[in-house]
Amino acid sequence: MATPIRISVEHVTKRFASGAVTVFEALDLAVRDGETLCIVGPSGCGKTTLLRCMHGLAAIDDGRIVIDGTEVRAPSRKVAMVFQHFGLMPWKRVRENVAYGLELAGLPKATVQERVAHYIEMVGLRGFETSYPNQLSGGMQQRAGLARALAVEPDILLMDEPFGSLDALTREVLQDELLRIYQLAPRTMVFITHSIEEAIAMGDRILVLSARPARVRELFQVDIPRPRTVESVIAHPRFIPLRDHCWRLLRERAA
Amino acid sequence: MTFHRVGVEVDESRAVGVRTSRWRRLRPGDWVVRLGAIAVVLGVWELFGPTLNKLILRPPSDIFRAFFELIANGELQDAMGQSFRELFGGLAVALAVGLVLGVASGRWRFVYNAIDPLVSALYSVPSVALVPLIAVAFRSVGDAPRIATVALFAVFPILINTQQGVRNVDRQLLEVARSFNTSERRLWTDVILPSAMPYVLAGVRLAIGRGLIGMIVAEFFIGLVGLGYLIISYENVFRIDRMFVPVIVVATMGILMMGFVQWLEGRIAPWLKREQ
Repeated sequence: MATPIRISVEHVTKRFASGAVTVFEALDLAVRDGETLCIVGPSGCGKTTLLRCMHGLAAIDDGRIVIDGTEVRAPSRKVAMVFQHFGLMPWKRVRENVAYGLELAGLPKATVQERVAHYIEMVGLRGFETSYPNQLSGGMQQRAGLARALAVEPDILLMDEPFGSLDALTREVLQDELLRIYQLAPRTMVFITHSIEEAIAMGDRILVLSARPARVRELFQVDIPRPRTVESVIAHPRFIPLRDHCWRLLRERAA
Repeated sequence: MTFHRVGVEVDESRAVGVRTSRWRRLRPGDWVVRLGAIAVVLGVWELFGPTLNKLILRPPSDIFRAFFELIANGELQDAMGQSFRELFGGLAVALAVGLVLGVASGRWRFVYNAIDPLVSALYSVPSVALVPLIAVAFRSVGDAPRIATVALFAVFPILINTQQGVRNVDRQLLEVARSFNTSERRLWTDVILPSAMPYVLAGVRLAIGRGLIGMIVAEFFIGLVGLGYLIISYENVFRIDRMFVPVIVVATMGILMMGFVQWLEGRIAPWLKREQ
């Protein structure tokens, strides 16, 4: 019955500005195998910082973060991150950007080529392999960012507001893409967002954080079955109650 | 989207001359304007120059004639050979020193602290004032002091721009690289050096202009050779038509070399010219 825990955040404290600002204190949470955990919270509450800590990009001041039994100290190849700012190298073509993680992992050339082609196809970027990022729209750039993360075939995907800087329409298209890709190969995912609708559409569970110092306000199940599309989620009778619940949690703190 | 276009944000930076990519590609219409402007200047000069001062403002047609005289007697070729040896030698030294110190000081605080006051001081002092020192240091023998002068004039834009390019590397991209477990070597080749490239090339463009000045100054002060010597000697005998020949050669050299760097930029940094 019990699903194995992949990421466990145990009593983690993070401070900024030499300890003057506490981002979160004694935070506990667990990410289960194969689930998408969405983390929402007021802006500035430290969602992104939490994700960076999970990836080992930022040091924590107390507690520990464990992924598959190993304490996180530096980025691991089992984990890949998709960035809000896309993080594509402007001097690399789409193909080279997608190949980036694979090359660093030292995979043989043939494998790299094969995987790059596969994931470029999967995110719908075929025909743009030789484009530079600045020739692409924001949505297409993030498709490339997603392909780059998927290409290393990570056990865990960390999504840092990946669609946050896109326009509403593009965002919805990419949400559907991600749901479709998840369906093809479900994998453990932590998804940071400030959009409640997005959290409900993407998440199996939603974690609502309070304003700084961030605490777990509530953690609840999204009882909407998969396979999902954004449209089917919004049309689902559970959508509005879940959204209202989320809103209430966030507003209570903001007031 | 313009999130990662490099070389546009030069805030707080001392790097100068970093261009935005919008102006980089010249269209045929641009050339009409460029050549037209030169034609207008030459036309006005030809028509009205001699009416102002017959001796000093010799018309372009006289200069054109003097150009062939100086080629016919071989003086111009000799001077150009001499001068360009100094110029390219000096620029090579400036490039080597500027890149190495620029990268080192952009990367390591210790190097930055060690050289920053000196660089600021030397960059602020008119380089001309240091030429006699160079002459003494190299005992005025051979091309070495003149090459050193060119290098002195040219090194600072390269050094400072390289340093700023390395320092201004996009933090977010550094984090992406860390996220994918980069090695230190790959960090340089994937992120730091490409992102510094536009700064470096802008520095090289500035260095060419300063290097040409350094070349002429060195030839005025040290040894009297090359194009600088031609300028001085024909000025002294009021052959202003001939004096202008090396001046125009230097100017043309500047145009050609800057154009070359721009072309080079298109080759080694093709992502910069591809605007949406």
